[in-house]
Amino acid sequence: MTRLVEVPAQFDDRSFDQFAGSFVAATDDGERLLFDAHAAEWASPYGLVGLLAAGQAARHGADKPLLTAPTQAEVLSYWARAGFFREAAELFEIHGRVPKVKAQDESDVLLPVTPVRAAEDVHAVVSKIQQRASAILASELGLDPKATMGFAMALSEACQNIVEHAGTGGWVAVQAYSWRRKLARRVVVIAVADAGVGFRHSLEPTQSKRFGARWGDAAALEAALIQGVSRFRDPGRGQGLAGIRRYLTRWDGKIAIRSGTARIAIVPKWDDDVPLKDGLPSFPGAQVLIIIPEQGSTKP
Amino acid sequence: MIQHIDVHAVLQESVPGGGSYADLVTRPTGRVVRERIERAIAAGDVAVARMDFTGVGCIDYSCADEIVAKLLRGRPAVLVLSGISDAHREAIEPVLAGHGLAALIEGAGGALETLGAPEAAAVLLEELVARRLAARTPGGTFALTLA
Repeated sequence: MTRLVEVPAQFDDRSFDQFAGSFVAATDDGERLLFDAHAAEWASPYGLVGLLAAGQAARHGADKPLLTAPTQAEVLSYWARAGFFREAAELFEIHGRVPKVKAQDESDVLLPVTPVRAAEDVHAVVSKIQQRASAILASELGLDPKATMGFAMALSEACQNIVEHAGTGGWVAVQAYSWRRKLARRVVVIAVADAGVGFRHSLEPTQSKRFGARWGDAAALEAALIQGVSRFRDPGRGQGLAGIRRYLTRWDGKIAIRSGTARIAIVPKWDDDVPLKDGLPSFPGAQVLIIIPEQGSTKP
Repeated sequence: MIQHIDVHAVLQESVPGGGSYADLVTRPTGRVVRERIERAIAAGDVAVARMDFTGVGCIDYSCADEIVAKLLRGRPAVLVLSGISDAHREAIEPVLAGHGLAALIEGAGGALETLGAPEAAAVLLEELVARRLAARTPGGTFALTLA
């Protein structure tokens, strides 16, 4: 028996909970999963790395979950250029015609979907993004050229969360695009996802007593992002997310982290997201979204 | 004596395949680089360690903490940072301030400035002057007295 997990037609952070709900419902009896993306019309970097995390979580032994590829040629082409299928081939039994296109460093794909498993991968990602992102951040987003290095720092710290806390590998993707829905301006988006242990499990040994009955996914996210705590007792830990927050405050950016059944966000004025959601459909690991908008007026 | 530490060269030696990386990122990298610097300082009678960051690209907060903050806490020698870019400063400054630590930065002309928590910076400069490792220049800035 195969259980169906529907991939939303517009697959991004907003529709991710719908996807997670479908994932939860399909996984309750341990049957093989079929991720149905045939009707997908668009996927953000967050959607793509989130789908890979789902594939990672859904694998049982030698049985890979199934994935039906999008049928629209341009969607298929974008997913290929974004490097999705290169990684998906390891995780899914893919059905449908997948174009033989290599992941490309096109102007909008600053970093194709890239696996992050170890510190060496973070070095490679940071090195690559500096070569690619500098011109786009300065010319298209109007960021001070100095901000490129801060961007690389933020990316490095986001990726290190996987290496240090997930207990498994994950993926990162970076893309620039015009965000018509919210801002009518260009944004650069960093998406990072893994299907590891998640923030609650990672912080539980050091933080659960402090929170008492409140302890859960939401409290763990609050502790990590707002209070800057880490599972390590070393006083220097917890710098990464704090540093990302500082960078985003300076450039009017947004960060949202989903882990388990909760999602926390630092919401800039131009966005109407909620700061904290709890009771969401449970999804393994952690999924991080960072958005840096084109500078200038960012009225909602 | 003053020991010159070429941080970029230490990075190259520290990371597997380090020849292709110029960035001080990730805690494991920071840890290896710091341990090499600690060994270099411990090997000699070092009063001041001048850490030259020339050639280093990005420093992330984890590496700033793992290298600079931990070296300052361990106090193997007086640390003077040189070859520091604005981006390096942006990574190191909040990490030091968060720990209540301060470091010295040596500019191209030899003038010293402080980075990090103001109280710690004032104490650090006082200590250097008291130990005659630094002195006020005719221009009103501070500079190392050792060559």
